Amino acid sequence: MSIMTKELRVALAGNANVGKSVIFNQLTGLNQVVGNWPGKTVERAEGTLHFKGYAIRIIDLPGIYSLSTFSIEEIVSRDYIAVEKPDIIVNVVDASALERNLYFTLQLLELEAPIVMALNQVDYAAKKGIRINTEKLSEILGVPVVPTVAITGSGINELLTTVIAVASGEKKLQPLKVKFGVEVEKRVKKLQELVQRRLPQLCEVYPARWVATKLLERDSDVAGKLKNYEGGTEALQLAGKLAAELEKLHGEPSPVILASERYSIASKIAKEVTIVEAPPRISLEQKLDAISTHKILGYPILIGAILAMFSLIFIGGSLFSGFLESFFGNIILHIGNALAFLPSTAQSLITEGVLGGIVAGITIALPYIVPFYIILALLEDSGYLPRAAFLMDNLMHKIGLHGKAFIPLILGYGCSVPACLSCRIMETQRERLLAAFVVTLIPCAARTVVILGLVGRFVGLHAALAIYIFDLILIFILGRIAFKVLPGEPVGLIMEMPPYKKPSFKGVLTKTWSRTKDFVYVAFPIIVAGSLAITALNITGFINYITAGAKPLISGWLGLPVEAGVPLIFGVLRKELALILLSQLIPLESLSALQMIVFALVIMVYIPCIATIAALIREFGWKKATAITITDITLALLLGGIAYRILLILMPS
Amino acid sequence: MFRNRRNAQRRGGSKNEGELYALTDLAEGEKGIMVKALGGFGLVRRLAEMGLTPGVEVKLLRKGSFGGPVEIEVRGVALALGRGVASRVLVKPSKDEHHD
Repeated sequence: MSIMTKELRVALAGNANVGKSVIFNQLTGLNQVVGNWPGKTVERAEGTLHFKGYAIRIIDLPGIYSLSTFSIEEIVSRDYIAVEKPDIIVNVVDASALERNLYFTLQLLELEAPIVMALNQVDYAAKKGIRINTEKLSEILGVPVVPTVAITGSGINELLTTVIAVASGEKKLQPLKVKFGVEVEKRVKKLQELVQRRLPQLCEVYPARWVATKLLERDSDVAGKLKNYEGGTEALQLAGKLAAELEKLHGEPSPVILASERYSIASKIAKEVTIVEAPPRISLEQKLDAISTHKILGYPILIGAILAMFSLIFIGGSLFSGFLESFFGNIILHIGNALAFLPSTAQSLITEGVLGGIVAGITIALPYIVPFYIILALLEDSGYLPRAAFLMDNLMHKIGLHGKAFIPLILGYGCSVPACLSCRIMETQRERLLAAFVVTLIPCAARTVVILGLVGRFVGLHAALAIYIFDLILIFILGRIAFKVLPGEPVGLIMEMPPYKKPSFKGVLTKTWSRTKDFVYVAFPIIVAGSLAITALNITGFINYITAGAKPLISGWLGLPVEAGVPLIFGVLRKELALILLSQLIPLESLSALQMIVFALVIMVYIPCIATIAALIREFGWKKATAITITDITLALLLGGIAYRILLILMPS
Repeated sequence: MFRNRRNAQRRGGSKNEGELYALTDLAEGEKGIMVKALGGFGLVRRLAEMGLTPGVEVKLLRKGSFGGPVEIEVRGVALALGRGVASRVLVKPSKDEHHD
């Protein structure tokens, strides 16, 4: 880089489902880091790009509908904008839903953020018969408006050029000053005057008018900030009084009054700049939408989609798995021969421990996980998941959740870790916890490897299917119990139904790639460490002590061969590792059908793997993660023992 | 405050002006004007932020089966509301009803 390189910080902000992450991907490519906001369970995606001598750091803020206190995402976003003061906020707006998007834009303007608007999905809007006069919109808002079609990359260069023009001062902003109705405006001004006078330090960070408006809206987060300041109490008292006056006047809670005011401004602007052309014809998307959420037809379609997804994963997975196994088996053999000069201990540590672990990861886990990620990205990008959530809302309410929770559950069949993280889409902490608990009971791809690779292969598919069905019943019962036990009220569903879209090849690939990369980074070190540890235990003979110690539980209670103890313990590292290790200790065929079923059952229910525990700790803290873990272990052992005794009567061998 | 639900549903489009109905009482394709949302501070505020403010026109697109959620169109956006949430949103008949 030359010394001339100037740095810019740009934040992408906007509603969910407007193509914000597509723009982010277009800008940063694969050059992005996904992490968490410090101390918060909110995803933070960051990337850098170089353009016209600028190093531009781009931060993708979470997709939100408002800048209030509804979710942590909203608070994180507004604090970032107000406190960190990025050079430019690129407000990504869905041209086909301008009014609702402008509601968010107005709040950015209230925060006095330097905005450049990316008017996205102009192609889709045109298809709906909506054309937007961008010059006029830009004139009214006083900020540049760049039409984009993120999927194709159209308008992205112009967007960047505009960002730089504004950041360098070449292009001046004259942002619209948001003015409310008389009654509200009067009170905002009064409060603003007090805030400016009594809270000067706070006004260095947040615009005084914004603080006043938020206080009038009874914003709990801003109210909390005020408590640290002298003069805060006075402002709060005045705000309370003024809000009560407004509420008496309108007969609505003050946040509803302010929301109404903003929406009427948004609606006015939208009407002024929108040209509705031809009356929209019924499109293919609408037809698909009608069928896939149909009262009756929707359900067989949903079941069909899930079945198709799993058969694709299993068929593709086992094909690949077999192919990779024979390929890598040979390589290992060659390496083993090449290492013949080493002492036998070192040799087996390297071949069985390290290489065996890596190969197991590549041949057993990846072939199932990569197709799953591809299909998941297709489901996400096409917009089918909200439809599934719509159909499942009713059933999910039975376990105290609403339709959106169906999304983490589906993800759970792939990997519990992203599924736990995706519980963030639920609105309250209680629902997040409930959903995460249920997710730990869903057999992830690794557990599927055990269920299908052991029971499915040796006992038969019907037995494997029975285990899955049993699991669903178990989830339902436990979910219901947890729902009754956890304090708090269930929350109803409020969810946007974004229109169907054709997923882009590039988008699906990018998602699959970054998820697979994450998986490899997290899982492979654990697999190798586990495999290495067990090889070491085997060589040193320590394994016999563990086996002997666990014998009463493993053989006495669960009716499994004593050797199963070690794999069950190590299964906490990776569930499929349990099967791999078991096969290294005894031939799998030597197990009876009954033992296979019990083994798979215990593996399916007992502790989520260590990566999931880590995810749970990150999301919910030590206490709750421990509680979930202990519940799962106890349950698995209990069920395993009971199943052994019942099946002994049902299927005498 | 609002009429027998089943009765209203059966009657579909022919609603009396000035009377309040639950959003769930609208027939598929029918429009109404949002009057008020009943419920806690959080729910009412959330609905307002998603565009359901008093005075706005809503169109019921479809109702899920088995007491499932309803899908509505408000401010050009499709929203799914759980049946419980939707039953707390009160509407009055829209004047320009049978437009489509």
